[in-house]
Amino acid sequence: MTGDAGKAQEAFQNTVREAASRSTQDEPPPDRLWFFRDARWRCLALSEQGIQAEPGTLEETEISPMAPVQIERLASDQLAVWISAAPEPQRSALALFYLDEFSLREMLVLLALKAGELSELISVGRRQFQAWLDATTPVEGQ
Amino acid sequence: MSLFQIRPDYGALAQCAPITEKPGTDRAMRVAILRARQGKQSALFGQQQAFDGAVAKLVRAIPVDAQVAEWFANESLIPPGRRPWKKILFNPAVLSIALAIAVIGGVFAYRVHEHLRDFPGADEARHLLSVAASTRSVLLDPLQTDAGALSDLFFMKHRLEHYDIPPEFADFRTLGSRVFDDDEVHGVAQIWVVEKRMQFFLFPAEKNPKDGSVTDFSDWRFVELEGWTGAVQQRDGICFMVVIRGREKDLAPYLEKKKE
Repeated sequence: MTGDAGKAQEAFQNTVREAASRSTQDEPPPDRLWFFRDARWRCLALSEQGIQAEPGTLEETEISPMAPVQIERLASDQLAVWISAAPEPQRSALALFYLDEFSLREMLVLLALKAGELSELISVGRRQFQAWLDATTPVEGQ
Repeated sequence: MSLFQIRPDYGALAQCAPITEKPGTDRAMRVAILRARQGKQSALFGQQQAFDGAVAKLVRAIPVDAQVAEWFANESLIPPGRRPWKKILFNPAVLSIALAIAVIGGVFAYRVHEHLRDFPGADEARHLLSVAASTRSVLLDPLQTDAGALSDLFFMKHRLEHYDIPPEFADFRTLGSRVFDDDEVHGVAQIWVVEKRMQFFLFPAEKNPKDGSVTDFSDWRFVELEGWTGAVQQRDGICFMVVIRGREKDLAPYLEKKKE
């Protein structure tokens, strides 16, 4: 979400502190979605500080049958950096979707998006990631 | 897209199909996945699922900071599924059940209350209240005398023994009377009096089914039915009931005369 482990940790700790503070005031977080919603906004606020990526148009390629092989060659950090560089709300959409923790309904609530919008963000993200994969880890014969 | 389209866009839903099967996936998503798997684009959907699976695997491999992991292990900040009582209370199902229980409880309490005050002959008395409610003056033989004088009439004309009017009502002027048999009660004497259009009923007391005995009572016992109230007293195996359109308190002044 932030592309920076330190910032992410700071956001996370602040969220947990806020939850603890609410609990002591007898107003605990109502559900687990609260944590993700709160952490997301903190991450967004932190990521707006410092150097910002210039908005640009990424290439898109249809998903390749070889994509799983290409992805296996990646380091997890590379994926994290790629997602963190995506513009909002695509960044949050991809992060939540690939965490594989939430139902569609929960994601729509967290991101305040419609199903069609989320679907578009994810499918565009796939094609952009495929284009990036093809550029960074090309499969032999391609 | 039509403004009135309510069918979900299955194509769009399939684009965000869950990476792993989860319990509780809603119906629209299940249909979208089924269509994607069985449709012309099934191969593409298979590639999408493989792509998503590979990315999710890589995401799971992202190392979690040790301190954060420790916080997760030790802290329990989400309250355990406690639902606010207001939400529970206003749930339609709970409301329906509560209403049904209240109605059943009310009926049960009413029946218990009714039967707590029951006495031998209470059912007949209640039945005669309905007779009182439906009786018109034309049904009775006109007779203007003191109610107390009718005891002799009942005995002489109808062979009804001990059909005596209690002293507190003996001086009341009558408008008419009749003697009739009913499906439920036989040998009923009915008298209309001028005073507040009250009616008197005299009828045989209920006998104990085991030994045929009758237990008299000299206090007044009450029955009520649809706005009519009767006060019953039993002597010599005959019940006397005074009926008024109103409540127990409307009869009270007449019943207290005896005490004076």
